[in-house]
Amino acid sequence: MGKEIPAEKSLNLIRGRLCHPSFIFRPLSASSDSNYSKLKFIVSTSIMEGCNNSILLLGPRGSGKAAVLDLVVGDLLEQFPDSVSVIRLNGLLHSDDNCAFKEIARQLCMEHHLLFSKMASFDENSHFIIAMLRECGLAHKTIIFVLDEFDMFAQGKQRLLYSLLDAMQSVTSQAVVIGISSRLDADQLLEKRVRSRFSHRKILFLPPSRDELDGLLEHLLSLPADSSFPSGYVSRFNDKIKNITSDRRFKDILKTFFNAHSTVNSFLKFIFCAVSLMNLESGLLSLENFKAALSSMQRQPKLEAVRDCSVLELYLLVCMRRLEVKEQSSYNFISVMKEYKAIHDSFQTSDYYAQNVCIRGFEHLRERQVICYAENRGQSQTGEYRPMKLLISASELHQGMRSHACCPAILLKLLDH
Amino acid sequence: MPKEESSKVTRRSTRSSASVTVENPEPIESHPPTIDDLTFGDESITLDAVLSDFPGRRSQIFDFIRLMGPLDCPTLPIMIYGGASTGKTSVVLQVLRHLNRPFVYSSCRTCYNPRILFESILNQLLLHRKCSSNGYSSAKRCDKPSDFVNLLREALSNVIKTLESATGTSRLNKPDEKPMGKMVYLILDNVDLIRDWDKGSMILQFLFSLDSVLKMPQLGIVLISGLPPDVYYSNMGYTDPIPLFFPAYSEEDLRQIFLRNQANPKLYSAFLDAVLRSFCRVTRRVEELSTTFSSLFRKYCEPLDDLGISPNEDMKRRLYSYLKPFIAPCLNDIFRVSSHPHDGETRGERRQKVSYSSENREELKILDFHMSTSAKYLLIAAFLASRNPATLDASMFDSTGGMDNRKRKRKASEKSMEKKEIAEQEAVMKGPGSFPLERLLAIFQCIASVGDSSFGEENQGEEEEDPTGYDRENNNLMSDILLQVSSLCDANFLIKSGSCPLEGSIRYRSMVSEDLALKVAKSLSFPLAKYLYRR
Repeated sequence: MGKEIPAEKSLNLIRGRLCHPSFIFRPLSASSDSNYSKLKFIVSTSIMEGCNNSILLLGPRGSGKAAVLDLVVGDLLEQFPDSVSVIRLNGLLHSDDNCAFKEIARQLCMEHHLLFSKMASFDENSHFIIAMLRECGLAHKTIIFVLDEFDMFAQGKQRLLYSLLDAMQSVTSQAVVIGISSRLDADQLLEKRVRSRFSHRKILFLPPSRDELDGLLEHLLSLPADSSFPSGYVSRFNDKIKNITSDRRFKDILKTFFNAHSTVNSFLKFIFCAVSLMNLESGLLSLENFKAALSSMQRQPKLEAVRDCSVLELYLLVCMRRLEVKEQSSYNFISVMKEYKAIHDSFQTSDYYAQNVCIRGFEHLRERQVICYAENRGQSQTGEYRPMKLLISASELHQGMRSHACCPAILLKLLDH
Repeated sequence: MPKEESSKVTRRSTRSSASVTVENPEPIESHPPTIDDLTFGDESITLDAVLSDFPGRRSQIFDFIRLMGPLDCPTLPIMIYGGASTGKTSVVLQVLRHLNRPFVYSSCRTCYNPRILFESILNQLLLHRKCSSNGYSSAKRCDKPSDFVNLLREALSNVIKTLESATGTSRLNKPDEKPMGKMVYLILDNVDLIRDWDKGSMILQFLFSLDSVLKMPQLGIVLISGLPPDVYYSNMGYTDPIPLFFPAYSEEDLRQIFLRNQANPKLYSAFLDAVLRSFCRVTRRVEELSTTFSSLFRKYCEPLDDLGISPNEDMKRRLYSYLKPFIAPCLNDIFRVSSHPHDGETRGERRQKVSYSSENREELKILDFHMSTSAKYLLIAAFLASRNPATLDASMFDSTGGMDNRKRKRKASEKSMEKKEIAEQEAVMKGPGSFPLERLLAIFQCIASVGDSSFGEENQGEEEEDPTGYDRENNNLMSDILLQVSSLCDANFLIKSGSCPLEGSIRYRSMVSEDLALKVAKSLSFPLAKYLYRR
């Protein structure tokens, strides 16, 4: 196992850092007015004073809400080892109330080493939870409920939310409910009775500034100077990183990237792609890696779909586009066939195929989601008579055809007028 | 005590199966699966073998290997997408065979609902094989994503513990084999089919966020999809996986693919020179081209006595001119798999077919399936009922069964021409019209009597004293009409359209194309063109 080349080891190390959220968000949360400190302050005060609380963490996807929460919870578990227990629920999995109560009961049983029976009914579970809340309250233990995808719990009758918040108010309990959501209006979704029991504390997670991200980049990509790496390699690697980050072209690449993506997660994905392209022989990153990673993040799927089409399929697309230009609001396969025949008659192309071949061409286009049926309900007609529509715009079609490997010139002419 | 719910299905036994005791010799039990079975199993292959197996996929293979990373390297989820038959699944599996890493493969085509999908993944991770001793049941019963996450976590931690202890001990038996590492990869194929499932969008959302829910860096997720990632965007949003695109093959790649495993590469490459370019204009999919090329290549080799020779320029030209008349009709038949068997055809038959197909460039006018006479008449009646407006029935099908003269054509003014065009467009858009059952039966009786009278005229001359002879003929055609209608519905020649709420009768719609109707009419010698209403 000691035969690992240093390039592989450094690759492993950096990729491991990228996949580990807490490593990334700790430096971002270092300052005193960051979300991390705010959250930690709220939760630790409610633990120390023994009161109930509820908070919402809001922000776009990938801005690190769950990661910061994990950091806070980890720190609190170290600080107050015996008086904190954590219950985690996820809106995707546990939006059904039965599921949610069962999961809470299961996690409570695991924490307190009780035996959990899968056959317990909904009522039994809810009584158990309320009893546990009371017991923990009397023993001055705080239970932290983490509700991921909070907006999914706010669908339907909101029974879980109501029972939790109601229990917190009526029973002597010490509980903190932390909701995480990517919908900025998640608290508007709550019912009146739930909202009245909810303390409207919200922490917004905004995209980080450029300086923070530059610092993060340095932090991620520099190798530690410990003995597991050969000595010259670490300094060479770090020097190369410094060279790249100070290069003007690299700053341009970053600017183009940030025009489209603003969250931390997409930035991590970009670094991941760049790092995976590292040349394993030299073991050093280079500017080309970052350029290639940027182009792989700027995919244009519709363009690729058009480039993959065969010539017959391009003909069909051009016919549909021409029908649209002629302001025929709806068209189906038969009308496209008529246009196809008209083109063939006027230009004597060599690509005139029978109807069954064209139908299969249509099917291929539909599978690739370049065209689709205009209405979903017309099941009483065969595919030939159902109205269809194009799913790509005219400019995408133009661009795709121009970059196509063997597009006939006549098609481009037909598309232009 | 917590009891794990056993997932044995109690089978109901019928009386016959309970009474008969069957002596089944137990199949020899293969060895219970071990952790080694999570890898590909066969001998590991070198990178060059993988590259030569997949011509034209060189950059994708390198990209995939780089994204997987060296041994024990944690990875973000990857999505591989591309059209059909572009080699996504096989490249992924062969690369994993080359890297010799443990993986779990599940396809959403064979696992057609969430429960089967979850249970199949868990079975593989828990090293459980379905056999007769456990009643062909899965190891754990799991149909909700919440249960799946918990069970997956348990199963993964067990597997990883076993892998870690396996790497600790030295592997003496195969010293030059690559180590398996400590990571397990989960490969989900045909992810685009989940969109059509019940609650498919929730399952998709769950799969895309599986790595953040599980929080286990030892699991790598690879999703294979036939559709590009922008199809999955929903209003819930997720961090999308790293995409890897497999484009369709170019002509050069297709040539290399088809040249593999050919007995006589030179002959086949001459054949490809002749046909590949024109067929590539219609489709570039490997599976469609290979069926057409196999039958065409047989035709190409017909004049050759020795299939092992390598042709020179002159022979190539002669073979090409022999093949040329077949290429155009074959282009129009490219997606049709012929139902005629190729073996056992004599040269004489083939020559007949050659001359026939070179005469009519359109499709053959023979109906290639059998229908009874009354069913054929019913089909034509349905076609006419769908195409002609109901108001013209009286004039078309008067008591003589013939067609009235059309009204005199007046010179069409511009406005009426425009109106005609718009009406034509609307007719094309609406498709075939619907008709009630009574109208179908009325038209059927009219045209069947036309056909009958052409028989009946000859018979009537002979049997004048038998007035019931005509009726008997008629009765034979009339019997089981409703049965015929329902069998036509089953064959999708007629479909039931919505019924009018006022009248309450069922309306039908004809789904037959004009070509098929012409073929059927020709087989009955029925003058269909006279009865069709042309605007």
